[in-house]
Amino acid sequence: MSLLNTRSKYLQIAFNRSLAEVQEMVSLLPPTPKIIIEAGTSLIKRYGQKAVSDLNYWWAEKIGQPAYIVADLKTMDRGSAEVKSAARAGASAATCLGLAPVETIDEFIKNCETHGIDSMVDMMNVPFPFEVLQKLKNLPDIVVLHRGADEHILNREKQIPLNQITRIKGAYGKILISIAGGETTREVVSDFFNGADIAVVWRSFYEKPKDTSTLAQDFLKLIK
Amino acid sequence: MMLEKGKRYLQIALNGTIEDARLVAASLPRSKNILLEAGTPLIKEYGIQAIAAIRQLDPNAYIVADIKCADLADREIGLVCDIQPAPIPVLPKPLLTQKITFLDLIKMTADQINAIQETNQANLSFPAIASDANAATVLGVAPVETINLFIEECKKRRIDSMVDMMNVPNPLSILKKLDCPPDAVILHRGVDETEFSREKQIPYYQIKQIKGNYDILVAVAGGDTIREIQRAFFNDADIVVVWKNFYQATEDTARLAQDFLKEI
Repeated sequence: MSLLNTRSKYLQIAFNRSLAEVQEMVSLLPPTPKIIIEAGTSLIKRYGQKAVSDLNYWWAEKIGQPAYIVADLKTMDRGSAEVKSAARAGASAATCLGLAPVETIDEFIKNCETHGIDSMVDMMNVPFPFEVLQKLKNLPDIVVLHRGADEHILNREKQIPLNQITRIKGAYGKILISIAGGETTREVVSDFFNGADIAVVWRSFYEKPKDTSTLAQDFLKLIK
Repeated sequence: MMLEKGKRYLQIALNGTIEDARLVAASLPRSKNILLEAGTPLIKEYGIQAIAAIRQLDPNAYIVADIKCADLADREIGLVCDIQPAPIPVLPKPLLTQKITFLDLIKMTADQINAIQETNQANLSFPAIASDANAATVLGVAPVETINLFIEECKKRRIDSMVDMMNVPNPLSILKKLDCPPDAVILHRGVDETEFSREKQIPYYQIKQIKGNYDILVAVAGGDTIREIQRAFFNDADIVVVWKNFYQATEDTARLAQDFLKEI
């Protein structure tokens, strides 16, 4: 069972600027548990797990309750080592690549359960997410349908397969679906309309850190 | 490219804690044929300072940043090419090295003491060396746009690009899609795969297949014994990546590396 409320919708904001800027940005966010804070892959690669523990501290203090922090590890190998270090740093969820060997995804999900955090499988560049899910011993808590930033910029016609949302939910029921790669309010509306539980955004925040507060409020209006 | 074709290289993946990594790196014989790798879990735990910590031990080492890039290639290359090293405290022992006793000290003039303090300061600050990586890795399973951007950025920044073919059944099909081939390809059996599916083999036959089609280096990762290293080189690999021995037992480290240097 996921740590998230399955009936609620969430806005996940990924942070990737310098830690000092990220601290400032987090302080500008409206304090609501509907916002999930993500330590982006490049933030983790730059600062290590300190990024996760700092975000955890800042956001928990801001909302006055335990924070839900996603460590975007994008694990490709050694599922157990990476999950352990993220959980120790205070993450509530971690991500694994759907492109990883099936042994790694299984090991990742198992270790997430052991450490009591949510497992997210990121389906970036996976043509048929179903094929990956079918091979697993246990299902992850959350599936992320993801159009990568590089593919999006360099190849405009690639689309996020929103039609997969209801298909996956129809087949597996309790899995939560997160959509990453749509950055406009219009795209986020369409994510939720198509049944997504979590919409992941980062680009507008990355480009205009000073507008963090208004950007977050604009997105939050879309969550009923 | 910084590596020479026709030579054999042993790439040693450093993992565990920073202290473990530094301990292992320090115990290795210095050789142009030994490459140091900042392992993915090490980078994800400590960030890019892990690379600076290894660089500090050996300013001339060839360091591979195993970032396993999957997206945002330009940003990640920027990270490993532009490391601002945080000062790692170096043990200050100028008094010991200059063999000054307390008695000497009280006899000294103010100028002499100032001079010692200046050397002390120099020893404390971080040595002025580039902390950049010499090579970085991108996943072969990543979107082709990401791999292309990664190779292009590596060229711009003058570091070597390595495409890690873990979980790619046919590496040639990936290489054919690229605008420009990378400097090296890594044929890789993952640690989890090795542990949980013993029957999965490193496809040695792909080494010649790739080298027959592209003028690039081929690295093999996923073997850990001296026999597996020999087998990989026998099959024409240019680089063999090892990690397990170097992670579990530091005392075996130097031996495996020395065995390797003897072989070549």
